[in-house]
Parts: sequence; C-alpha cells; structure tokens
Amino acid sequence: MSAEEHTRSSLRHDGSRVDIQPADVSGRFNTARRITFVLLIAMLVCLPLTTIGGHPAVFLDVDRRAFYLFGLVFNAGDIWLVFFLLSGAGFSLVVLTTLAGRVWCGWACPQTVFLEGVYRRIERIIEGPASRRLRMNAGNMTFGLAIKKIVKHIAFALASVAIAHIFVAYFVSPAKLMAMVREAPGEHWEAFLWMGSLSLVLYLNFAFFREQFCLIVCPYGRLQSALLDAGSLVVGYDSTRGEPRGKAASAQRGDCVDCGRCVAVCPTAIDIRNGLQLDCIGCTACIDACDDVMVRLGQPRGLIRYDSQQGLAHLPRRFWRPRLELYSALLIAGIGAFSVAVAHRSSFDASLIRIPGQPYSVAGGAIVNGFTVHLSNKSNSDRDFEITARSDSGVEFDLPLKRAHLAPMGMAHLPVIAHIPQDKFMGDTPFVVEIRADSDPNKIELHGRFLGGMHE
Amino acid sequence: MASRAPNESSAEDKIIHEYDGIGECDHQLPNWWVWTFIATVAFAIGYFFYYSQLRSGELPLEAYKREVAEHAAARAEQIRAHGVMDRDALEGLSKDPKSVAKGGELFQQTCSPCHAANGGGGIGPNLTDRYWIHGGAPNDIYQTITDGVPAKGMAAWGGQLGAEAIQNVTAFVLTLRNTNVPDGKPPQGELSNETEYK
Repeated sequence: MSAEEHTRSSLRHDGSRVDIQPADVSGRFNTARRITFVLLIAMLVCLPLTTIGGHPAVFLDVDRRAFYLFGLVFNAGDIWLVFFLLSGAGFSLVVLTTLAGRVWCGWACPQTVFLEGVYRRIERIIEGPASRRLRMNAGNMTFGLAIKKIVKHIAFALASVAIAHIFVAYFVSPAKLMAMVREAPGEHWEAFLWMGSLSLVLYLNFAFFREQFCLIVCPYGRLQSALLDAGSLVVGYDSTRGEPRGKAASAQRGDCVDCGRCVAVCPTAIDIRNGLQLDCIGCTACIDACDDVMVRLGQPRGLIRYDSQQGLAHLPRRFWRPRLELYSALLIAGIGAFSVAVAHRSSFDASLIRIPGQPYSVAGGAIVNGFTVHLSNKSNSDRDFEITARSDSGVEFDLPLKRAHLAPMGMAHLPVIAHIPQDKFMGDTPFVVEIRADSDPNKIELHGRFLGGMHE
Repeated sequence: MASRAPNESSAEDKIIHEYDGIGECDHQLPNWWVWTFIATVAFAIGYFFYYSQLRSGELPLEAYKREVAEHAAARAEQIRAHGVMDRDALEGLSKDPKSVAKGGELFQQTCSPCHAANGGGGIGPNLTDRYWIHGGAPNDIYQTITDGVPAKGMAAWGGQLGAEAIQNVTAFVLTLRNTNVPDGKPPQGELSNETEYK
C-alpha cells in the first residue's frame, strides 16, 4: 500500500483506542446473521438441557472424569480421542477458511455471537443509535448519561452472569446447577469461583475489550494471511466497478458514491475499500450497507460482496486448488480415523494384572498364578459382566467372582487364580480371559501368560 | 464521519521499512497492551518481594512440606482414634457383626480363591483349624495379610486393601478359627494356644 493511502483502524497512532460505535444496518445478511445468533445461543442453552440416555447431551463431568457426548460416554482412558477432536476442529476451520474466509468469525464465533447478538443489542436499546452514542461519549458527563451508563453496565453484568451459568452447566449438569443456585455460595465455593471469574472475564471482554480480542489476541485471526488465497471467499470491494469514487455526476466516476456507510457500520473501524485487511472479521455489515445505497441509486447490488479476490479483480475464479484438496483430504482422513476409533471403542474397559509379588507359587501339588482383572463400565447404564477363562494346555481357573454388576463408570477388581497340577506343567503357556457385557456384542479378550517352574 | 476520531495524519503513516511490497509503519503499541505489560512487571516485582524477600507467602516446596506434615498429623489422629492394632482390639472387632460382615464379603472376593469360600483351604492353608504357619495371634494374622508371604504366594494386601479393610478381614478370619469345616485341608504349621477358641 502506498503511503498516500491511509489506513483506518481501531487504534490510533499514539496507541489509544477509537471509540467504535457501528451504525445500525439492515439487509439480507443482517437478518440471516440475527437468526443464526438466536439459533446458536438456543443450541448452547439446549445442549446441556437435552437428555440423551439419562444424561445431558453434552456433560463434561471433570470431577468424576466422565464425559457424556450425545449418548456416548468417555472416561479418562479415552483421552487420546481428544486428539481427533482438536485436530478435527482445527482442520475443519482450515478447510472452511480456505473456502470461505472468515465466515466463522462473522457468523458463529462466540465473540461475535454474544457481542452482536446480546451486548450491542443491549447497548442499542439503552443508549440509542450510533450517532447518539458517539455524541454522548464525546460530550460531558451529565446526570442522565450517568444513569444510562450505570443501567447499561448492570445489564451487561447480568448478561455475563447468565452466560457464565450456561457454561458452568456444561461441567456440573443443569440439575446440579439449579440446586447450587439455591444454596449459599459457600457450599460449593469452587463452582461459585469459576462462575464468578468467568462472569468477570465475559463482562470485561464484552463491555470494553470487544474487537481488540479479534484483532490482537485471537490466533485464528492472525493466521488468516497464511490460510487464505486468491480463491477464498472474502468480503470485498469491487474497485474496478467502484473507482474512481465520488459524488460528482462526472462521466468517468465509478459506482462508489463515497457515502461512507460501509465505514460507519464496520465493527472494527476499517475501510473495506482499502482491500482485504487482517482487521476484517467478515461480518457482512458493509455488504448490507452498500447494497442498500446501490438499490436506492438504482444500481445493481454487490459493489461490496462475498467474492474471491480473483472474482473481485474480474479474473477467472478457481475453486479447486491444491491446498483445498490437501486440507480436505487431511480432514476426511481424520474424520475416518475418528469414526473407526469410536465404532471400535468398547463400552467397557478391562486389563489383566498379575498379583504383585512372586510370579507363581507351588501349593498342594499345583502351580498357582494369581491375577486381577481391573474392569470398568464406561456405558451410562448399570450392567452385568461375565468373566470366563480358558487355556489350551490344561491350566484350570478359579474365578471367585464370575459375574460383576457395575454402575455407570463403576469399577471392580476380579481375581483370577490359574493353576495346573505340577506333573502336567509343560512350561510357560498363554491363556485367555474373556469379558462379556450383557447386551453388548463386543467382548474383551485379555491375554495372559501362565508361569511356572519344574519342581521335583 | 466527523464524529469518529480521524486516523489520518499522513506523517505518521510513513513507511519506515519495506520488504516484498509489504510496508511497515512505526505506530505505538495499543495502550491497553502497554498497560497490561506494565501491570505484569509490577505483579512480578510484587510477587518476588512477597514470596522470596518478605517470605509472607509459601513457596511451592514449603506448601508441599506443610501439606505432608498435615497429612501425617491426620493419619496419626486416625491411628489414635482407631486404637493400636493389638490382639485385644482385633479380638474385639471379631465380635462386631458389622465388621465381620464387611470382612466376610471381602474374604469371598479376595481370599476365597486360595483359602476356599468356607476358609477350609485349597491353594492356601486351612484357616478353620487350630494350626497356623505364620502365627495364630490376631495381630499375627493382621500382619500376614498386610505384608503377605511372598515366598509362598500369599500377596501383600496392605497396599491394595488398606488398613481398615484388613482389620475387617482379620475380624472375619478370627471367627473361622476352630470351626473345622468338613472338607478342609489337613493342618499345616503349629498348634496355636494363643487364642481363646470358642
């Protein structure tokens, strides 16, 4: 960019922040975004409230290391699956960015959903439209203004507390949350502290920090320049059509009338006409603002539009690019591996452990090996388990507990005593312990080794 | 847009460094960023004086040592409350139906594979006669269960079960003495006169 073109930004050269008060905007994208925000917030509230298989649809019970996801139960032993969750989320975002730029930022990121869908709505209701807000903030503090500010911040604080409770519900279950709300904070001070600090962070973020989070803190925002290419969909200004901008009815002027609406509605205080910028969160407000003006002037919409940089430059658009193919292949491979892992995941866990001490003993003319089966029920219902053992070489088994009844996430230690008459012992030999759960076609086979020695 | 703070003094937009067509201006860091940085430095100084100079707070090692001491004190308290595990205490426990029931349950799970469900012995010795290999006094039995007899295949249950469970199992085993179940293993060890057989 040449030095003559000046940047607009949320920060001044001296490091102070610009008071950003985006003007109201209405249009197709704004309506669609409002609906999306409502649906996403409804989803956030409903996920812990919906019950699947006796548990909330999403319930991360960190206290008991049990994680309920849409009817599946995971315990601490399944922690390796988190790799797929994180890498899957990462690759989804990478593919999405290559395809459509910052749609996540503009439409679905909690920062945007809560800021535009909740906090700025509150601000608009209490303090009025952008022009009045800017005038109020620049002028002297009056009594009426102070009242408005206090009311606004109380409303912000209440919204933050409400959102914090929704988040806490994911970790303690809504039923327990409701019980805790009725108790004194001292009876569950840990949860209360989480809720309190979360409320404070949310309040400070949404009342003051706002777009600075997207522009300076968020790593995904900073990665944009690496993830986008000329074929990615971005919110952009068609400079070929728009320039030279101006109000004069001169013959050569482009379609941009330089009304400044696109700048006035921008939540990060940039001028989209300067081209693709790291500060643009793809919120589409400038598209609606410009379309509105174009329609009134009898011009076609889309001077500012969703398009690729190729499209905006009136070059041929290229959809399938090597990076898109690579990212998609990696994403599909990850989803495939995850599906296989979850499908083959047993609803219970078992391991065979030799009783510590001597590997074998000789008693009453028999060689004896002692083992314990550590069994845990990972399903979300009470279940009965059956344990059997077999050997091809004459080893016999004492199973004092052949059946075990376990509550969800319950654990048991089942002894397995293997023995063989001394005269039949022909050297170390493998054996198999099999564990079956009622109403589960899967079984777990544990392989053990019977040890002994030759004695006279 | 007069109400918006103008951002446009071109002198400050001067590009001071350019490479590959990417220009760099010399702008101030965001003020909130600078103040956060200063606040972290101030916090670090305060932290240093609070913990390392004034010694007002506990460093992690000190906190660890205190917690270990607290734990030891709590354990000592527990031992005092439960009484020393001498023969009288265990003998007393064997008269307590609740302890015996708990111990019996555990016996069926843990001990019966070797000692048989009725205590008559199998892989392990008979517990229902009057003969004991490693001592028939209540505290001997307690010790044998806790430490095991690794040389003979008896596991050390102390670590797995914990003291309270072993007290209960001992109480249950004490009720087996001299019940002489029918299909029991022949006696092993020495005749014990130690105990008051019922």
